Amino acid sequence: MSTENWAIRAQGVSKKFGLTLKQSMRHGLGDIAKKITFHSTHSEVLRKGEFWAVSDVNFELHPGEAMAIMGVNGCGKTTLLRMLSGVYAPDAGKIQVKGRLGSLIAAGAGFAPMLSGRENVYVNGSLLGLNNREIDGLMDEIIDFAELGQFIDLPVKNYSSGMYVRLGFAIAALSRPDVLLMDEVLAVGDLNFQKKCYDRILQLKRQGTAIVLVSHSPGAIWSVCDRGLFMNKGHIQVAGPVEDVIRAYDDQNARNSAKSGTQFGDAANSNSETASPAEYGHREGGTGDIVCHSVRVLGEDASIEREEFNFAESWLIEADLEIKTPLEDLLLRYTVDAVHYRYIATLDTYEQGLELTSVSPGRYLFRVKVRQPNLRPGAYTLNLGATTRRLGVHLYYRFAAARFIIKSPADRFLYADPNAVVHLNAHFTLDPLRASESQTTGHQKNSA
Amino acid sequence: MIPSTDKTIRTYEASAASLNPVAALVAAWREIYYSRTAIWHLFKRDFTAGFRQQILGYLWIVITPLIGVASFVFMQKAGILNPGQLSMPYPIYVFIGTSIWGLFISSVTTVAGGLINNSDLVMRTNIPKIGLALTGLAKIAYSLLVNIAVLLVLLWIFRTPPSALAILYPFAVLPIIFFGVGLGLVLSVVGAVARDITNVCTTLIALVMYITPVAYSPDFKNQTVQNIINWNPMTYLVDSPRSLFVTGDLRSGIAFLSATLLSLLVLWVGAYAFYLIKDKVTERL
Repeated sequence: MSTENWAIRAQGVSKKFGLTLKQSMRHGLGDIAKKITFHSTHSEVLRKGEFWAVSDVNFELHPGEAMAIMGVNGCGKTTLLRMLSGVYAPDAGKIQVKGRLGSLIAAGAGFAPMLSGRENVYVNGSLLGLNNREIDGLMDEIIDFAELGQFIDLPVKNYSSGMYVRLGFAIAALSRPDVLLMDEVLAVGDLNFQKKCYDRILQLKRQGTAIVLVSHSPGAIWSVCDRGLFMNKGHIQVAGPVEDVIRAYDDQNARNSAKSGTQFGDAANSNSETASPAEYGHREGGTGDIVCHSVRVLGEDASIEREEFNFAESWLIEADLEIKTPLEDLLLRYTVDAVHYRYIATLDTYEQGLELTSVSPGRYLFRVKVRQPNLRPGAYTLNLGATTRRLGVHLYYRFAAARFIIKSPADRFLYADPNAVVHLNAHFTLDPLRASESQTTGHQKNSA
Repeated sequence: MIPSTDKTIRTYEASAASLNPVAALVAAWREIYYSRTAIWHLFKRDFTAGFRQQILGYLWIVITPLIGVASFVFMQKAGILNPGQLSMPYPIYVFIGTSIWGLFISSVTTVAGGLINNSDLVMRTNIPKIGLALTGLAKIAYSLLVNIAVLLVLLWIFRTPPSALAILYPFAVLPIIFFGVGLGLVLSVVGAVARDITNVCTTLIALVMYITPVAYSPDFKNQTVQNIINWNPMTYLVDSPRSLFVTGDLRSGIAFLSATLLSLLVLWVGAYAFYLIKDKVTERL
């Protein structure tokens, strides 16, 4: 995989940590004892109470390239970044970095509150490897970029948090590093400053700086990076185009949402407050005329229960119902919750044309086939309810009766807003207002 | 790991063989040299920030040892402390003694706390760790200069001229600083892993002052006490520079030379231990 023109090279890089401070201290003292008695502490085996924070990471980054590192919290992104910046030594493997390294692991690291902004520029600049002459040369540019004006001579303890991070970013971004490592720092300052940051980062990239960006923001990642790594539990799961990495990140987030289910707990709690506590529990309840034994979401062919579906793939919901008393004008209804919103869709027997005028007691299999739903990638929850047309109360309800996720599609990149839940089929065009003008014309690739 | 200004390649490798003692010294020197600008600015940062918003500012460097001297002189006048036969006025004797001892203790504590106090920088920048451990030393150099100035005033007050060799005094106190830095380097890495070790060790080291002729003469009639004083390398590292300054005599030249060699050895061992251990430290800061 190697060429001579690289900026960062990581080969089989791993790092392990102790789970608790005590274990970490015990292993640390053990390592020290081994080191000073000239025994090797190099071990690729975990000791008791240790885990791999980063495991077997390989990549090569070239000048002018920008690479994203994405992953949910605790996946090892920051540990990897710290190894790349030389803060942590790897426990296995090898990292090589060519040229001057700028790290924006936290804008403003090393700022002394009692010193003025100007004095801190010298401290911070020297930490980034600049000499005094270089800092003198950059000073005006830094003050200008950070929009500090006469405040540069004010002690930084009197700075607003925005001024603080602007100055930190300005120093690192203007130091023209060969390699720039950034951890969640593009969301600094107001919108105008953020735009300036992006412009500056992209300018550095064009000038040949190799950039590694760690962020949870798909927007920031997509703006800056060409390719990336998606990490999960210390391992690289996806290494490739930035779109694939963002898809993998979104899908993992959706899986975690579905798994934790916490966002639905609040919904269940708030609903139970309006109900009578004698018959209505937090998640399940009713009059006892109907009981649901199970709810499953299956593939369209009804073969196996599934938790994950592709974008626009059809699915089938199957509920095992026991009806205990004869019921007239029965209404069965699913509602769909997304991560941030409740009741984004309903699936109601009456609305969809199934009239259950008279249902006698017995066990029933209630099936709903949903064809090519336009739900965007994310985690969803189904709630089940049963009532009759003449009754104002629920005969039965169950919140979070089933959970599933919709995965990101491979043929399109749904990046625009992670909060959006429905994808509307649409056809787009962009044509010049007057046909005589020779402007660029936009045509949609797919209109599905 | 070599910081660079050009297209130098840094390599961080797990299976890298341990440095030998000579290579550790070379690495330390190169890292300090390459990060000299950063170390200098960090020194200025700590120094200036430390004295802002204080009424007496830089005077603290002078006031603290003078209070120490006053208390020793009080004990001597009250008859609690008998410093023995001295070749110079007692206030001068005790001022130089406590100043030199102060240099030693601050060398140990400054270097020992260097990594923990700068853990923010260790975690977020790639400045060499040895640089951070040593940033406090410039402050020690400054307090040495101030102490010499105060000493000259004291000599003038007590009508005691310094010797011609007093000019060598800054070099004569280097061994005790090296000794302190060596101990501090070991403590900085070990103490980062187990926090209480630094406190225990600095307390024990401070106790060594009582068997070192800081505030009393090194000559004793009791043979056991005399043996302890004679075998304590600190005796020569404190007493010889003091004698050199005032009388121009090292008192025990050979012993001072041996203690100096020991200091260099401690510094070397300290730097070596630091380089052996430092990579195991960061994640535990």
